[in-house]
Amino acid sequence: MDKTIRRILVFFLLVIGVFVAVAVVSVRNINRAVVGSDWVNHTHSVILETEALRSALYLGDGAAHTFVVTGDVADRRAGVEALSDVSEHLEIMAALTRNEPAQRQLVAQIDSLVNARAAFIHGVLAARQAGNLGAVRTMLADDAGQPAIKEIERAIGRLKDDELGLLTERDTASFIQAEMTRWTVWTGVILDFLLLAGAGWLIRDDIAARRAAAITLQVANSQLEAKVRERTAELASANEMLTAENLERSWANQGLEHQLHYNQLIINSINDLVLVLTKATNISRVNSAVVHVTGFEPHELINRPFSSFAKLTLEAGAPIGDPVAQSMNDGRDLRNQAAVVADRLGRGIPVRIALFPLRDRDKVVGGVVILQVIRPEEKLEHQI
Amino acid sequence: MQKHILVVDDEAPIRDLLGSFLTRKGYRVTTVASALEAEDAAGKDIPDLVITDLQLENSDGLEMIDRLKAILPETPMMLLTGVLFDPKVVRETLKKKVSCYVEKTAPLSRILEAVQGLVGR
Repeated sequence: MDKTIRRILVFFLLVIGVFVAVAVVSVRNINRAVVGSDWVNHTHSVILETEALRSALYLGDGAAHTFVVTGDVADRRAGVEALSDVSEHLEIMAALTRNEPAQRQLVAQIDSLVNARAAFIHGVLAARQAGNLGAVRTMLADDAGQPAIKEIERAIGRLKDDELGLLTERDTASFIQAEMTRWTVWTGVILDFLLLAGAGWLIRDDIAARRAAAITLQVANSQLEAKVRERTAELASANEMLTAENLERSWANQGLEHQLHYNQLIINSINDLVLVLTKATNISRVNSAVVHVTGFEPHELINRPFSSFAKLTLEAGAPIGDPVAQSMNDGRDLRNQAAVVADRLGRGIPVRIALFPLRDRDKVVGGVVILQVIRPEEKLEHQI
Repeated sequence: MQKHILVVDDEAPIRDLLGSFLTRKGYRVTTVASALEAEDAAGKDIPDLVITDLQLENSDGLEMIDRLKAILPETPMMLLTGVLFDPKVVRETLKKKVSCYVEKTAPLSRILEAVQGLVGR
């Protein structure tokens, strides 16, 4: 994996990380907002219950006073029912504030004051129902100015103030959380956008680099292909030349072989014994008549001194020496000399010898010897 | 169009080498080993040039050239032989029979020059 791909992966991992962080923070803030909303509802419930308690208490108190005046059972029943509602509201308030020590204490105080007031109302109702107006008058006179009601109002007012204070605090906290969520989301979005832009820039850069590399590779390939074509053409040309040279060489060899074979045919067609000598009078080549007449194979004669093969018959008065060697040295022909050739079985064969020196650029390089076998009748003729 | 050359030689290596060389040089080549085959081949596919050896089985190249001349009077004949003639003899005695005489020891490039001189490239 190359460096750019690793960088892009890191960028995408960062984008995912930011996304996850934003999600975690947002979910946590939403959870907090839900909790805060529950608390707001709870606070409103406490305030509502407080208001309901006060209404029920005033209703009970009013019904009691009306019953005192009218003596109507309906008013008494209304008072009792209102007091019953008061009890229910107190229970609800106690339940709502059981987890909040400060409010629970205030509710307990209110409960105590309200119960005392309810006991007073029950007392007034009971005295009126019993027809004890004097006691009723005394009780109401003692309650002149309704100090208990005022005390209850103050306690309820404190509780409401506390709840409203809490409400304000929770509203502030909720606002801060909402702001934090907003900022978190926007920061995350901007960060992700920047990271994605960075990744995009890297990808664009990488694509540009890859395109440049591809173009370079293509150019290199084209150059390589051109070189290969050039080299192939050179090789083909060289191959063509080599083939032509081979053909020429084969043709030259074939021509030489043909020529040699033809020359050999000519020499072998001669019935006389033909031998080729070196300058030192050693035999270097023989024709087939030599083999046929003497029984020697060519390899038995080649490189052998001619004098060991044929003995010249020197005539009287002839100079002493080897006439063949002399003729070769002098570079002149030797003709019609009598000689005897010993065949493979050691039998003497009378012959007439002729030697023709071989000249190459005015130098004697060897000689050709022709031996004519003298038939018996010729010999006899010669002797006669 | 490729020029057609009829090569007549009783030696297979000579036929093969010459046929291969002339084919590489762009000619269409027919090779035969005897005078009889040569007359047969010339009758079926008229050559633009006949290259023949002097010594053939059951005949010689000059005799064959005489017979081929009868049916191919316009076709040039080249004598290619290892039997060495004196150039003067060739000029004086063979010029009426053959268009060109080349020794077998001559390089192929010279043979090609002679062929191109007779039938073109």
